[in-house]
Amino acid sequence: MTAEARIIPFRPRPRRPEKMVSNGVMGMLLVVFVEVMLFAGFISGFLIVKARAVGSVWPPPDQPRLPFERTAVNTSFLILSGIVLLFAHRAYQRGNKSIGLPLMVATVLGAAFVAMQGVEWVALLGEGLTLTSSLYGSLFYTIIGAHAAHAVVAIGLLGWAWLRLQSGRLPREHLSVVALFWYFVVLVWPFLYFQVYL
Amino acid sequence: MRAALVGVAAVALIAAFPDVAHACPVCFDRDDEARLAFLATTGLLTLLPLGLVAGTGWWLRKRAREVEDGAGDPEGRRHPDSEPG
Repeated sequence: MTAEARIIPFRPRPRRPEKMVSNGVMGMLLVVFVEVMLFAGFISGFLIVKARAVGSVWPPPDQPRLPFERTAVNTSFLILSGIVLLFAHRAYQRGNKSIGLPLMVATVLGAAFVAMQGVEWVALLGEGLTLTSSLYGSLFYTIIGAHAAHAVVAIGLLGWAWLRLQSGRLPREHLSVVALFWYFVVLVWPFLYFQVYL
Repeated sequence: MRAALVGVAAVALIAAFPDVAHACPVCFDRDDEARLAFLATTGLLTLLPLGLVAGTGWWLRKRAREVEDGAGDPEGRRHPDSEPG
């Protein structure tokens, strides 16, 4: 019986090709595309209903007017929140871990936007604009409500990211995914605002 | 030859049908504002997905070039903070 040593040549493990985009960011990008089309459909429906209004009078004469000027304050809060998050996101990408304060500020500004929208809705309901009062009311609450629902989810995600950051367990990819969703919520709003409120 | 003639006649009939029916709201709405709204929203809903796909393709191509040049740094994969804990 002879022992035969076999020499196995060393073969380095082939290097896996680098990913161009992380799975999380790509997934969120696809979600955002779907959401963009959803809101494009909403806006299209709204524009057609508005164009075919009886006597070309819009909003309908018996319905309250939307508070364009007051909502401009909410809008500025939301846009400011997006800008703050953009700077925090970029800083984190560069390796700066002390973004707790700007992340918190972005979250609070977003929450203020939703809270002010809620106050506005209560006032409009009191003035008689409800989901069933007219097509105008139905479209308003559907479109703006869909945006508010997205904003609430995004604020929850921002809060989750802040908590993870505090415990030092926030990968950059996760912040990118959350930020991407918030950028969508922020960027889609001006289109809704100028189409629906004006 | 006969089959081709039947085909051409069928296509001509189909092409003529909407014109007779005046069924297309984009083309035949009496109200100019409504017609413009139909056209604008048709354009929006047609071009927006194409734009999104084209934009993503352009961005991915840019990323691919960055990765090839060695400047690519996919989200968190090589960052010291990537791993939890």
